Amino acid sequence: TLRLIYTTTAVERKNVGASGPEKYTEAFIKKQIEEFNLGKRHLANMMGEDPETFTQEDIDRAIAYLFPSGLFDKQARPMMKHPTEIFPEQRKIQWGEDGRPFHFLFYTGKQSYYSLMHETYEKLLSVQKYQDQVTAQGLPLQKEKRNLAGSRWLTKIELEEMLLEKLSDDDYSRFIQLLQKLVALPCADIEEKYIQKFSKEVPVQLQKVVIEPLQYDERGVAFSTGEGTRKTARATAVVHDNGTGKITVNGTDILHYFPVLQDREQLLFPFQFLGRIGKYDMVCTVSGGGRSAQAGAIRLASAKALRSFVTEKEVEFMRQAGLLTVDPRVKERKKPGQEGPRRKFTWKKR
Amino acid sequence: MAAPSAAGLGRRLRAWLPRMVQVRWSRYSPSYLEPEAKKELYEKPLEELTEEEKEKMELKAVQPIKAAPPTLSSSVFNDPMISKFTNMMMKSGNKVLARSLMAQTLEAIKRKQLEKYHKAPENEKETIECNPYVIFHQALKNCQPIIGLSNITKGGKTYQVPVPLKDNRKRFLAMKWLITECRENKHRRTLMPEKLSQELLLAFNNEGPIIKRKHVLHKMAEANRAYAHFRWW
Repeated sequence: TLRLIYTTTAVERKNVGASGPEKYTEAFIKKQIEEFNLGKRHLANMMGEDPETFTQEDIDRAIAYLFPSGLFDKQARPMMKHPTEIFPEQRKIQWGEDGRPFHFLFYTGKQSYYSLMHETYEKLLSVQKYQDQVTAQGLPLQKEKRNLAGSRWLTKIELEEMLLEKLSDDDYSRFIQLLQKLVALPCADIEEKYIQKFSKEVPVQLQKVVIEPLQYDERGVAFSTGEGTRKTARATAVVHDNGTGKITVNGTDILHYFPVLQDREQLLFPFQFLGRIGKYDMVCTVSGGGRSAQAGAIRLASAKALRSFVTEKEVEFMRQAGLLTVDPRVKERKKPGQEGPRRKFTWKKR
Repeated sequence: MAAPSAAGLGRRLRAWLPRMVQVRWSRYSPSYLEPEAKKELYEKPLEELTEEEKEKMELKAVQPIKAAPPTLSSSVFNDPMISKFTNMMMKSGNKVLARSLMAQTLEAIKRKQLEKYHKAPENEKETIECNPYVIFHQALKNCQPIIGLSNITKGGKTYQVPVPLKDNRKRFLAMKWLITECRENKHRRTLMPEKLSQELLLAFNNEGPIIKRKHVLHKMAEANRAYAHFRWW
């Protein structure tokens, strides 16, 4: 006699783990985009705003209002963005119906990387050929120095995003070496467009901070304020012009407030660096932190206040001396299973 | 005296990446540069700068810079070598005490030298050095060993192999020897500044126990010359 064997769908289901990350079809992404646009209009309607001029910032604000979340990780909070930002770009299937791959370098494994290397090398050879032609004709080679400081190469992550392929550190460094070799040739200006694809502009001056103009008080004396922090200390400093070099902290003279020489040296550091010790008067308030932290906070506050009195070049010099950066070092937290931030418990053999 | 890590292909290829210093763990991102507080570097007018310096300045203008630590200052009295020595002398974070000891040491050196100066006859007065900073630097320079020993295990046995030392290592050893000497080999009642000033003056004249220790190290290295080929770096 035959017996019925009952099988569940679990047996018939293929091994899910081996298929890799989820693959999104083009139709799926299109549907998501349509849904997103529709949802955007609904949201604009709900918020009482015009659906036509509803920007991404408005969407973010609306979602933050409708779904408030106290989670620390911004990526974990509810978000509504265009599907291209949420679903990572994936490569379309690289082979045709008969199973033959389209690209000739498919079987290397890193087809886009190797094709990129081949392209760049071809550009290098063409530049060298052009150079030879120019020298054969006897014309001088132009050598315009590229602004090294204003641009940087793409980072490994950006290159990976561009190629849609994983790269190793070695691969990335080899590519950058090749690019640098190309740039180093005198007639590399021909391939400027190609090179620009792989370089990004760095903001030339790191002085993105706006320098406030001087304020004048009742007697016509110029003054400016600055705020500084260091560890847990918060300080505000008011620097007055036409002074004798007197410094007052929380109502007391610095000689009484900071008995240690090192702290007083730190307070005078910005003034001594600019060479204007006896010219300014300073009144500061500081709270929190310890002795050294308060001195560091006042130093930062006074340096920030002095920016308004001084030329741009001197501000750049102050920045390069480390006077204008906020010190990010704070007390490291204690970890569970250890006695302190680094110290482990005494190891006992038994 | 630790052997350097094995230099691999990856490290050589990565070495050309400019301005990126590998840090173990730091609150600053690796692209931050060290601050420079010396005023002379900034007071140079534009024409005097060479091409290299101009390029360096341009590159520096685009990069973020770390905050200056509390020990760094642009004043004339701030000396990096003396700050390093003070930090090494410091116990349990008591910088106030370490700094006062350092100040007392320099004062003691000055006093002793002035005494000698006033007692000396006219012709010898010029040879006596009174500046305590000069004496400190010269004494440390005299204490620095040129060659050191490193433990290399080969075939089960550990050999002491003579090895050239880096500048940082030389300075560190000189300061470490000075401090350990002053902490251990002194009478219970003598204070640190007095003993330190004594040792510094002896080292300045190339005498004293620290110089002897340096010579002992050099002799050991000379004796173990046969194993020098064990070094692979």
